[in-house]
This record gives sequence, C-alpha cells and structure tokens, in this order.
Amino acid sequence: MAPLMRNLHIALVLLPLLSGCVASRIEESRDSSTGIEPHEAIVLLGRASHNHKETEESFTECIADVLGEGDNPIRVIGQSQFRDNLYPWFEPRTAPTSADELGRLFTEPGVKKRIASVNVRYLAWIDGDTVTIDSGGSMSCTISTFGGGCFGMSYWEEDASYKAAIWDLKTMTSTGQISADANGTSYLAGLIIPIPILARPGNAACKGLANQLREFIVGET
Amino acid sequence: MLLFLQSCTTSVVVEGTVPTPLVSVIPARMGVYYSDEFRRFKHEEVFRDSGGWHIDLGKQNLRFFQNLTKSLFAEIQEVHQPPLTTEEMRDLDGVFIPSIEKYGFLTPSIMGVEFYSASIEYRVAMYDKVGAKIGDWNIVGYGKSEGGMFSSDDAINEATVQAIRDGGARIAIELIDQPAVQAWLQSRHESYEPSAGPPGVAESIENIERIESIENSETPENVDGPPDA
Repeated sequence: MAPLMRNLHIALVLLPLLSGCVASRIEESRDSSTGIEPHEAIVLLGRASHNHKETEESFTECIADVLGEGDNPIRVIGQSQFRDNLYPWFEPRTAPTSADELGRLFTEPGVKKRIASVNVRYLAWIDGDTVTIDSGGSMSCTISTFGGGCFGMSYWEEDASYKAAIWDLKTMTSTGQISADANGTSYLAGLIIPIPILARPGNAACKGLANQLREFIVGET
Repeated sequence: MLLFLQSCTTSVVVEGTVPTPLVSVIPARMGVYYSDEFRRFKHEEVFRDSGGWHIDLGKQNLRFFQNLTKSLFAEIQEVHQPPLTTEEMRDLDGVFIPSIEKYGFLTPSIMGVEFYSASIEYRVAMYDKVGAKIGDWNIVGYGKSEGGMFSSDDAINEATVQAIRDGGARIAIELIDQPAVQAWLQSRHESYEPSAGPPGVAESIENIERIESIENSETPENVDGPPDA
C-alpha cells in the first residue's frame, strides 16, 4: 500500500505541472474606431441557434471574468440579466442577426430606454464551440484485494474556434470582429495511477479572445 | 420491483425566471381563461435508455402566461370557462385562451449530441366581445441546454424554461401583427370613431383610456353567444 501512496503523492505534486501544448491564433478586423467610458458597459451574448451547435455558457462567463479583472477592467453585464431585461428581443429566434437591425429594434417601445438605463455601449456576440476532432489509445484499470492500477495511454485532440462580433449600440454599427482558434491534444497515461496531461484549448481561446477584445475596445479611440 | 421502478423515474418540477415582456400593448381589455389542464400541465414519458420522466411544467407555465398577458393587453382579468354571460363580458373586449397542444423533449442519448432539448406547441385563441372567433394560432417554442453543465433533471428544466420563453416571445411579438387581430382592433376603433385614421396600426396605449370612456357610455350589448373554448 505504501508504494501506491507514495506514487499518489508524487502524482499530486506533479499534476499542476503537467499540461499539454496548445497552439492558438487570434485575428482581428476593425470596421470603425472604438472607446469606452468608465460608466459604460459591454454585454457578451452567446449565439444560440436551434441546430446542435451552441456557444457554451461557460465560455462567455470565462470571457466576462477575464474582462472584469486586471489593470483595465471593463464592466460586463451578465447575459441572463440582459436577456431578461430586454425580453423578448434577445431570445435565440428573435435577436437581431446584424447591426443593421438595431435601428428597427430601437424603435420598439422601451428598448432604447432600457439599454440606456444600464449604460450598455457595446454588445459582443460570441459564436463558436470546442469539439473533439480526434481520439485514440486505450487504458484499462483493475482493482483487486492485492491492490490495483491503470495501464495504457489514451489521447484526444480538441479544437476551439470562436469569434466575437462587436456592435456599438451608441452608433448602432458593427465595429469589427475578433476570432480565436486554439488546438491541443490531451493525454491520459496509466502508470499505476492515471496521470492526465491536459491541453485546454477552450481556456486558451477564452483568454486570447478576451484580451484581444479588451484591446479592441479600449485600444483605439 | 416497485422500488426499482421508482428509482428509474426522474421527476422535474419546472422552475425559472419570469421576464416581463417589453412590447407594444394590445389596446384591449381581455378575459383570460386558463383550463385546469393548462394550469397543471404534466408530461410523462418512458425511454428505454434513460427510464421514466415525470415533468411538471404547469406552475411555471401559468406564472409565465399570467405575466405575459399582463404586459400584452391593456387590461386582463382571469375568467372561468366560456361561455361568459353578457354581464361578465360587460367590461371585456374579448377573451384570450392559451392551451398546450404538445410537449416533448429529447436527451443527449436519444439525439446523439451534447444537448437536452424541449419543445412546446401552444395554441392561442382569441374571441371578440360577442364570442365570435377572431382567430387561433399555433406557436411552437424551442429550448435547449448544455448536457455537461447540469444534471439531467436540471438540464430538462432549463430546456423547458427556454421553450416557454421562446413560445412566449413569439406570442408577445407576433400576435399584434396578425391580420385578424389588426382587423379586429381596426373594427373596434372604427366602431368608436367612424372617421378613424389609416388601418393596420395598433392604437397607442394613450388611446386606451379614451376608448374605454366611450365604451362605458355604450348600452351593453345583448350577448348570448360568448366565447366557447
């Protein structure tokens, strides 16, 4: 039992050090200049269509967390709160699909006033997902009265591809688009105990997209 | 055996937020009838893979529609099952009756994707003051939620709440634009003001008080054929 415990302790110490490699790429296209006042805010909305793809809520929450911290934080309004306040205009099937539709939306009773009351300056539509594109290997675990262990190795490759379309609600125009792509392979090695070596392309895409979004909004006035 | 069957059934009492719609008010005083089936709507289904499901969405659905109709019409009053008497219709311009035609849901094991999804088919019917049908419409609301983030019952709850919201959004936005509703509003407008302006545009909320004051001075209509369900 003692060797097993020693191995477990070593694994627990090493686990945080083990992370897989992630390759990421961020691209930006700007249509107009931007800027944000301290009292103004941004809303991040995940695009949701009724096919089998949908932007994960955890991804938009991750971007909101990154934008809201650091030396130059941006006030972020939660998408649930925004959708409830503007119901029924930002539901999956009723939300504007392009900035050109904002003009029509703002003529609906109370919409412009409600948006102005919470000082929302920018709306960023986050669209994309993380998918497993390849997997393989094998690992088996056994347990008996004499102990147990896992042997073998498995891997899976994930691809995270997201883009943010940014609309300026003050000028009712599209100001640009940022895309983030990240790819990484995770491994699970069974050496008596299973040792995960995790690549987190979704996390890399989130941080890359959020930092670029911050620069995009505050960087050029 | 009974214990085994019990353990294979997932019960969900649907709960969620009830947003207040930000839409144009239909300038009419409506009676709203919710049937017992609508108030206590439950869905039961057994899947070979995931066992039995018992989904109670009546309470959330009722709360949602009570809030929706309050925002959608100038005035609302819950009424009993039609037909209503002339006296009961005296302060009403019509009756609005929502019902649920179908409810369905899918789990990731059935769909082969990572989402739970739900759909609700509503039927809404509107009747005028004398019980003539203005129109009825079928509206389907869809919702889905991530399987990974929630347990299966939470995911079905979330998908169902989204489906109610989606159906409600379509009713809130599209009902006022239905030609039959526009024609009804126009005919009411014309009956109060023969020299009324151009048709097709719902009266603003400011006009409601004026219309009501004219109506209150009317002789009550002899209504024998109020709305039927």
